[in-house]
Amino acid sequence: MAAPPDSAPIEIALPARGESVCASGSDPEPEVLALFDQWRAPLLRYALSLGLRVPEGEDIVQEVFLALFRHLRLGRSRRNLRGWVFRVAHNLALKRREEARRERAAELTAEPAHPGPGPEEQLAHTERHARLDAVLRALPEQDRYCLYLRAEGLRYREIAAALGMSLGSVSISLARSFERMRRAAGG
Amino acid sequence: MAAEDAHPSDREILMAADGELPARRAARLRAHLAACGACRARMAELDTGIREFMEFHRASLDSRLPSASGPRALLKARLAEVSTARGAGVRLSHALVMAAGVVILAMAATVSMRNSFTWPAVPRANLTPGAALAEDRAAVCSVGPGQPAVPARLRQQVFARYGLPLTRADAYEVDYLITPELGGSPDVRNLWPEPYANIVWNAHVKDALEDRLRDLVCSGALDLYTAQRDLATDWIAAYKRYFHTNKPISR
Repeated sequence: MAAPPDSAPIEIALPARGESVCASGSDPEPEVLALFDQWRAPLLRYALSLGLRVPEGEDIVQEVFLALFRHLRLGRSRRNLRGWVFRVAHNLALKRREEARRERAAELTAEPAHPGPGPEEQLAHTERHARLDAVLRALPEQDRYCLYLRAEGLRYREIAAALGMSLGSVSISLARSFERMRRAAGG
Repeated sequence: MAAEDAHPSDREILMAADGELPARRAARLRAHLAACGACRARMAELDTGIREFMEFHRASLDSRLPSASGPRALLKARLAEVSTARGAGVRLSHALVMAAGVVILAMAATVSMRNSFTWPAVPRANLTPGAALAEDRAAVCSVGPGQPAVPARLRQQVFARYGLPLTRADAYEVDYLITPELGGSPDVRNLWPEPYANIVWNAHVKDALEDRLRDLVCSGALDLYTAQRDLATDWIAAYKRYFHTNKPISR
């Protein structure tokens, strides 16, 4: 599929006045709720990975599924739907993160990268995890996005759609990141 | 002999591990691995790396995820809201769609603080998330101040949405959440019944905020989106911020 440019504006499908909706005539709500059950956690984790707080992430997820509802109601393309959904989430999350940075500049002076563990996970936060965290923080931003999406189980074509990259770039990015992790693990 | 073929690249091994290699190349790689211990070791190492990363990712995040039941119910309510607005929609900017979510959370957090009011001084977010036409600053500022009266048809719709009988219409002003002076649209999602009984945070106070925001936008000190969002999310909080006060300034 043709990868959209990374800087493309977020398209949220809303019917213009007089525009017909739901070509099939069916109500997409049950499907949207079923997809919410399936994708809410991965989407929220992805938003948190990008440095958003939980309420901000929840907001994004709500907006994503409202956008999906409108998208389906307008009878728009269902091709690579998960990639489309993560693309909307990615764009909204980056925008929200930028706003949050401005709002709480003092708190977010550092690149959020991968969030650290809460107190309850401290014990499990092994030296190996600390190394992984260091590698992640050192990765180019786009490589980190690829990894996070891969960690949420997205196929390469879905990652490509979400980030506006080519398929080849996704595999190159992931291979580069895992190689850095391997080297870090090897000392 | 396969073992004598060129060794596969890290990228190829990763794609094979992820099931992303085309069938023919995957078959060739499997044949190579069967005969090449070094590459099997690389593949195993990569598998371990991927597994460890996945565990790390989940361990860092899963415990932070709240239960899905509340957000699911909220989504369901909002989908029902969107469905009932079918056909009457305007093209909203995505920023305002985002603002709707912010309002809901802000409302949940602030309802308990507003018990002293006879009625919330901010609208119910699921009914009035705010809506704006996609106007730019020049379009907004080229028109003089002043907002159009709300048509009777829209007033009736607003009362119906809030479950208020029209016999009580005198007790409320149907007000724009985002004023048309800042691009707010004459849409039922941008209107709510503001009770005259609110003596502190009332329509006059909100008017003062709208004037201030319009001045800032038209002088270039504030972007239009921020002004619209501030009105849509929590206009009282915005008032406090822009006027540096915790209570309305008498005019």
